[in-house]
Amino acid sequence: MPQYLVAGYLPDDFDPSQMDEAMGREIHALNKEMIAAGVRKFACGLGAAKSLRAQPDGGVVITDGPYLETKEHIGGLLILECADMDEALAWARKGVAATRGQVEVREIFFQPSTD
Amino acid sequence: MPQYLVAIQHPENYDPSVEGEAMIRDISALNEEMDAAGARFFAGGLESASLAKSLRKQPDGNVSITDGPYLEAKEHIGGFWILECADMDEALAWGRKAVVACRAPVEVRAFHKMRPNRKSPE
Repeated sequence: MPQYLVAGYLPDDFDPSQMDEAMGREIHALNKEMIAAGVRKFACGLGAAKSLRAQPDGGVVITDGPYLETKEHIGGLLILECADMDEALAWARKGVAATRGQVEVREIFFQPSTD
Repeated sequence: MPQYLVAIQHPENYDPSVEGEAMIRDISALNEEMDAAGARFFAGGLESASLAKSLRKQPDGNVSITDGPYLEAKEHIGGFWILECADMDEALAWGRKAVVACRAPVEVRAFHKMRPNRKSPE
């Protein structure tokens, strides 16, 4: 079954206290619906970022903060197992409604074997 | 065990054919090392960001779907691991190895387990 990354984006100044109880309930209900449909492989919200960059001398420098200098970053993500992109988009639509947010869907095309 | 996202950052015009045999061997060896350590929950490479679909809520309540990535950036996540590590330091140690194996910058972020009816993550 193909897998899809569904990433939810939040502005950098997002205030979690703006999430009211109704929104929490809707996100919870959507997760339960995904689990019942057998499509949800992983779901989590993300915390603060550290960025790692290779240096010309071969070392790696670690800095606080996200790698991309953008005004929005991924706030949470889902890995869904769906028949095709259309099915993933149908779930993502529900995600937009539940989170009142913006969502990106990308196919996971390669998975290294586990043996 | 806390979970961490280790995300590889690729330029938007990234050409996977530049990945030579040595790089593929290095990445494969890193995956094996993560497995042996019991740290690897998930690993996946993403289709080109140009093939992403973006969904935005409209003022009228509808959802619009457009082709292409959501962020207007010159780099995008090319692939990622979800690792189970004792703490951020351990995740960063894997991140260092990922920078070397993938010849690309990496971002590491902790996941908060989402719990219903909580206003903010722990």
